[in-house]
Order: sequence, then C-alpha cells, then structure tokens
Amino acid sequence: MSRPAKTHKVKMMEQQLAKKLTRQVVGSLVGCVHCGMCNDACHYVLAFPDDPKMTPSYKADQLRKLFKANFDWTGKAIPWWVGADKAPLTDDDLEVIKDISFGTCTNCRRCTLSCPMGVDTATLNRIMRGLLSHVGVMPEGVRVVSKDQWELGNQMGVLKEDYVDTLEWMSEELEEDLGHGEAAIPVDKAGAKIMYCINPREVKYDPRTIKEAALIFWAAGESWTMPSEGWDNTNFGLFSGDDGLGGVSARREYDKARQLGVEKIVISECGHGFRSTRCEGVNWAGEQQPVPMESAVMTMLRFIKEGRIKVDPTRNPERVTFHDSCNNARSCGFYEEPRELLKLVTMDFQEMYPNRAENYCCTGGGGAMSMSEYTPRRLESAKVKADQIRATGAKVVVTSCHNCVDGLSDLIKHYGLGCEVKQLVNLVANALVLDEVKEPEAVPAPAEIEVAPVAVASPLAGRKILVVDDEDDVRLFLTTVFEDAGAQVLTASDGDTAVAVAREHQPDLISLDLSMPGKDGVETFVELRRTPETEEIPVCVVTGHPEFRQVIYDRPVAPPEGYLGKPVDEDKLVAYAHHIIEHREAKVH
Amino acid sequence: MVEQRVGQKTIRLVRGDITEMEVDAFVFDITEDVKLGSGFGGAIQQRGGVAIQKQLDTIGSCPTGEAVVTEAGLLKASWIIHANGPKFREEDEEAKLASAVRAALARAEEKGVKRLAFPPIGTGLYQVPLDLCTRVMVDTISEHLSDGASLEEVLIVAPDDREYKPFAARIQEGA
Repeated sequence: MSRPAKTHKVKMMEQQLAKKLTRQVVGSLVGCVHCGMCNDACHYVLAFPDDPKMTPSYKADQLRKLFKANFDWTGKAIPWWVGADKAPLTDDDLEVIKDISFGTCTNCRRCTLSCPMGVDTATLNRIMRGLLSHVGVMPEGVRVVSKDQWELGNQMGVLKEDYVDTLEWMSEELEEDLGHGEAAIPVDKAGAKIMYCINPREVKYDPRTIKEAALIFWAAGESWTMPSEGWDNTNFGLFSGDDGLGGVSARREYDKARQLGVEKIVISECGHGFRSTRCEGVNWAGEQQPVPMESAVMTMLRFIKEGRIKVDPTRNPERVTFHDSCNNARSCGFYEEPRELLKLVTMDFQEMYPNRAENYCCTGGGGAMSMSEYTPRRLESAKVKADQIRATGAKVVVTSCHNCVDGLSDLIKHYGLGCEVKQLVNLVANALVLDEVKEPEAVPAPAEIEVAPVAVASPLAGRKILVVDDEDDVRLFLTTVFEDAGAQVLTASDGDTAVAVAREHQPDLISLDLSMPGKDGVETFVELRRTPETEEIPVCVVTGHPEFRQVIYDRPVAPPEGYLGKPVDEDKLVAYAHHIIEHREAKVH
Repeated sequence: MVEQRVGQKTIRLVRGDITEMEVDAFVFDITEDVKLGSGFGGAIQQRGGVAIQKQLDTIGSCPTGEAVVTEAGLLKASWIIHANGPKFREEDEEAKLASAVRAALARAEEKGVKRLAFPPIGTGLYQVPLDLCTRVMVDTISEHLSDGASLEEVLIVAPDDREYKPFAARIQEGA
C-alpha cells in the first residue's frame, strides 16, 4: 500500500530538525537499545503498566522515526527495522504525536537516570515538542501561554502596571505589619546588589510569597531590588521546546540585571525558572558572560549561616516532608541546600522515598498544568507521588517550585491526602525572629475618662458583593466575612442564579466557587464574561478545583481578577476583595 | 535614532509596548477567527476594554494576507488595524506577509492615519524568520511611502534586541 504524500508541515519539521542535531542529540537518537530499563522510572508507566505507549522509549521513538527517515543511513537501508517507514507524513500523524509528546510526558528526566546507554529521552521529547510548536501543533494552553511570554514578557499575561501595583500593594501590607515603611519593595534601584526575579504566578495568585521574600531581604539588611521588566524567571521555551522563546526570555533578565548594575540575580523558588535562568538560558541566549545567579533557597540559607537573620524552628512544629522539583534536583543537582534550610526552620522533617535526584515528578511539570485536556491522565499518573507523600505522615509538603505547588495541591485534593503545600520562603518568613520592639509601659487610664469606642475597620463599606457557592456553610462563612467588613452581600447557590443576580444587581465583585452541580463555575465564569451586563464585573475565584486551569491557561475569556484556594483565610479574603475593587476603579478612572 | 527618510515620509524604529503607543493607529497580528487571544491581544482587551473584541466579532473573520479595522477603545491610539500575517511556517509566507503589510497600510490610508505603528509581524510565537520579516516589512512600507501615501510616519516597534538589531540594520541600509 502506498503511503500518503508528505505535508508542508512535516517538511518544515524536518528542516527544523536538521538544526537541532548536535552530537549529544544524535547520541541519544541512535543509542537506545529498547532494553526497557527506563520503564519503571516513569510515573506514566507505573500508572498505566499495560499500555506500551507510555514507555519512555516509545515516546522518544516518535522523534527517532523522523530522524531515521531523513538523516540516518539505517533509515535508507533498513527502514522497516528502524521505524523509518512509519515516520509521520500527514497532519493527522502530527496530532497523534502531539498527544504523546505533550500529554504523556512531563520531561522530568527520571528515565534518563536509569538508562545504561545515557539516552536523554526528555531532551528528545523537548525537541519533538519544539518541532511541533514550530508548525503550530500544540495544546491551546501552550499556545496561549507562549504568546503571553513572547509579547508581554511573562507567561501569565501580567501587564506592567498590574505587576507594579502588586508590588506596591505588598509594600503597603508590610508597612501595616511592621508599623514602618522601611521594608518597602525597591523597584529598579540601580546599583543594588541583588535583583530578585519571580514567577508570575506569585503576582497573579500568591503575592504573599513576594511579601515574605521582601520581609526576609529587609531583615537581613540586604541591598536588593525588583526589576520593572525582565522580572519573570520562568521560561515557557523550556516546555514548548522553542529555543527562540527560551533565549529571548532569559536575555530579558540578564539585560535588566546589567542595566541596573546588580551583582547577582536571585531566582525565587521555581524549579523550571531556576533551570531556565541559571542553567539553560545562557545557552539559548548565546551568552558568553552571564550575570551570577542563585536560587532564593541559597540566599536564605546564606542569610542564616552569616547570622544576618535569626530563625525559630519551633514556629513550624508540624511534620514536614520535602518534594524535589525535577528541574532543581535532576537537571541542576540542587537538592542538599533546601534540606539544610528546611532543618533549620522546622521541627519535624521526614524524608520521602525515593528522594533527591530520584524523587518522582509532582506530575505538574513540563507545562502539564497548562494543558487542561490531559488533567485526568495527569492525576492518574500521580498515584506514585501520592503514595510517597502518604507514607511520610506529613501535614505539610514543602517544595521549591511553583509548578510543583500547583501539581501537588491538585493531587493532594484528588487523593484526599489531607495535607497542604508550602514553600521554603513561607516557612523561613514564619520562623523569622525580628528584633523585639519594647512595649510601652501600660498607664492606667483615670476612671473618670471615657474611652471612645474604636471604630470597627470596614474596608468593604458601601460595596456590594455577590457570593456564589453551592455549599450552605461556605456561603454563610463568606457572607459573614464580607458583612463583617462592611459589605452588602448577595448570594446565589448555582450558576444560573448567579448570572441573573449579577445582571440585576451589578455587584462590585463576584466571589465564585467553581465546583457546583449543574452549570459549574467555569461555565458560569465564561457566561459572566460573555454577558454584556456582567462582562466588566470583577470576579474572584474561590476554589481548589483543577478545572480552573482551563480558565487560566486556555483563556477562552479574560482571566479572573483574583484567585483564592480553599480553605480561605478571612483576612486574606477581605484584603483581596478590597484590592480587586480598588484596582478596578483605578483602572476605570 | 534609527530612521529612514522616504521623500517627506519617515520609517522609524523604536522600542516599547505597541499597545501603549501614542499613534493614530497600530497594527495587531490577528488570527483568521479574529479573536484577540493572549499576548498583545490580552493587553488590548485589558487596557482597551471589551468593545474591541465585540467589533471584531461583528466583522467575523479575516483571511491570511488581509486586514480589518476597529476602534481602539480606551487605548491611546484611535484605531487598531488587525492584519492576519502568515503563521507557523505556512506555505507562501513571504507573499502572505507582504500582502498583510500592504493591506494594513491600505486600511490606514482609508482611515486617514498619519502615524502608524507596526510590530515585527509574526517573528515571535508564529515563527516567521527574522531576516524574511525585516526585508519584507521595511521594503513594503518603503515602497508604499514612496508611492504618494498620505501616511507621514510609520513606526516599527521592536519588543527586544532580537528584533531591534536586524530591523535597525535593514532600515539603515536604505537610509
């Protein structure tokens, strides 16, 4: 039977592959003997042991077939033996390979450690992703996120004014906490010693980590700054295989560091951010003399060792375990420092097994969190990780990676592990011992003086908030918190009612749960965004539900203005609501 | 300053965020389904408001090599010219890119635009080779300006050195 003609996309991929064939890559392409020793290393194989398509060698063979058919003599001499006669030819073939390359591998590189031939399967899979991305064959989430990073300089589409606003917000909170403004976050401070680069997830969904880092820098008396541009330490080029994006993203950080004249870039706790900025970025960017770089974990550890900050581990008494980010541990050999730091700031550390370079993937790596179409398979493949965590008995899983935070949080909920995820910056900030401020001596008030009642702070006074949640107790809790803060509260227990109430009453903010029976929160959110009367009402999503990824990454409509995971902290909820409403008003005016 | 004079007209290279440019109109590289999407499209939606996507929804589609116009909502520009350039190494990318640039220039003339800003069309996510893009864009714009255009100044807004350097070289060749 004759094979179909090669499509234009396949020809373009072959041309692109020719540019990727370094000696190391060719070594991995020709070195595999299909011995199967990598199989048990892969969390997908462990979850689907009867499916041969989950084996690392099968995944790498997709690229091998293309290579053999076009660049290797064996493909001409014995094509049936080396698979060259099954190389992709049509656009349908590419769609199948897309699901293999993006949907059955997190590029965690665990299989690489167990290969007796030294085959780096994750590198081959990344190259295949790069070839597919080159011709536009990729999951929608990867396309959306890559475009954000190419054009706006960060992978979550954070606008410069929103980033700066968040830093100012965190500075204000620090001032409130400390009673002075000395810990305010310096932006674009030329000549500072350290430039601190972060993951945009911190701006968008977890700004407390920025505040905690600022507190630690201030406590250590460090000369530091955050850049107004080139601040994103993440790099979606690592995940999509697009070396062009990899180079341009890394160079933005390096250029900004040189412009500010800093001595060092400190990378906040992000596994792929560390690998991309510190290890791979210099190669993609063609840098000869990169700026010195280190992880914030090393910075915090140094502060303690040099006596620049004091910590009290009794403030973190619960049992903790440590999950190694694949990019930190396996690809960068960075696994002892976080343990050393963890032991200094906690009381009960329990190692998980296996660990360090042999630890299993959180299953959220390699951009998996941005590919919502593969969520069920991802969570199924997480069983081995769940078993590892459960065996430790830990209440807190600590990790130095934002992707891992999301991946672990999802699997903890999915498998009902009943623990939470923290990063080292959370624990160090919590353990931080600041110089004690002398309390003024109490002076008894004369009996005849009446003390005026202190006005109750009502940060949401005059605001109208719609609470949408199907659970009565959660709805009551949120209503109470918002009413105590001065807001008028409307409620809805399902999506249809929520849209109707929002249309009629035009609230200042909608607090939206995502997992509801009937029309779920994602559908409700999209409808709110597409309904003319409600499209501009800010929404704060309150959930821990994995389906939320679709809203973040596929971006069918503009993303929500805020996000909070359950269980919700009351103060944080009010602060978020207040900030979102004020920020929206400032934008409109 | 990197610029090329074409008679009384100017092609100028600048750095910055194209959605914040103080120009009469700027060009956005759109897809056939005229969805603004992420990247600059996300910035247009967030800074410019929801009216822009609504106008695009009314227009419905824009074939490769063509361009359509909307107002610019709350942005500093008056118009956005949505040009559909070639994407992901599709066939005939040089001809399609030249066609998209010409279509964008034609829409600008129809609206009486004097200052127009272009991004390097397609050189990021969409994988258009930089050398091809610089040559086609600078030459096509230059030809248009020398041919009795009412446009007075065309800016090319490079987001990074990666684009700035080759565009600077090409513009200076013709200066």
